[in-house]
Amino acid sequence: MEARTPEDHLREQYFDLLPEMQRVVLQLEAEVRYHTLPILHTLGIGEQLVVDSRVKECESALQKLLRIKGLEGRKFDPDCAGGYSLLDLPDLAAVRVLVFPNRRLDEVDKTLRAHFQNWTAKPLKDRKGEVLAPRYIGHCEDVSRAVRAEYQVVPMLLGLFWRVEHPAMYKFRRVANSREMRRRRGEVERVLAHFEQGIEPYILPRSGE
Amino acid sequence: MKKSEMLFAANYRYNLDRDLFVNRQAKKAFSIEFVDDKPATAVRKRIEEATDGTEWRFYFNHPPPESVRRLLEQDLEAA
Repeated sequence: MEARTPEDHLREQYFDLLPEMQRVVLQLEAEVRYHTLPILHTLGIGEQLVVDSRVKECESALQKLLRIKGLEGRKFDPDCAGGYSLLDLPDLAAVRVLVFPNRRLDEVDKTLRAHFQNWTAKPLKDRKGEVLAPRYIGHCEDVSRAVRAEYQVVPMLLGLFWRVEHPAMYKFRRVANSREMRRRRGEVERVLAHFEQGIEPYILPRSGE
Repeated sequence: MKKSEMLFAANYRYNLDRDLFVNRQAKKAFSIEFVDDKPATAVRKRIEEATDGTEWRFYFNHPPPESVRRLLEQDLEAA
């Protein structure tokens, strides 16, 4: 019988962990929804707060592990078949809160921060190091001490752009990292922020806010 | 000229799965980390390095262990 490869071990680990990852993401999503519910109820016309969640897919987890381990040639060493662990990934379970307009972002961030006080801040930054959105990594300890999770609070226009841009750019990383595409991505981010600044004064919170 | 342009001009192709610049004829492969971290002169020197084309050469920051090297060679031969 052929020896099991590191990928075999990791895929087995993934499916062993999957129920736990699903419990974590359900727990995190429920907590985020619960704690943002008072904000949701005060949204005015045009204001939005959307909670998205996902469990990282198996092959995506393996690819990410290759990259965060800095394994050149993107190959696991077959002589270390059991030496890798998906638990090194910080985002097996993830929740993204999309918020519009931006003035609601701080409110959502502070509300969640008060609840997830022990989580580590790892803000999402652009190429120049400027913060695009707050992000936190931690454990839902009632559910799992092993699987780490992350949540982000993202300007909605940017988050919806990422929903299209990330899968496309992930597939073509070399192009994504080219100076030209970095420049174009920066332009999109600036234009979206500019649009939001223009429209925000006209989107009013519910009267009495 | 940018480092990636130098490689493309020397008939290297970018392997998206492995993040390698590969020239199958010359049997040479550069990792993206090597290309990013080394100066253009060092990359140029390795591109121009003569080989007899019988064995693969991997230009990595950290040379791959023999077990990984074998897998990469199989992949690149089959590509």
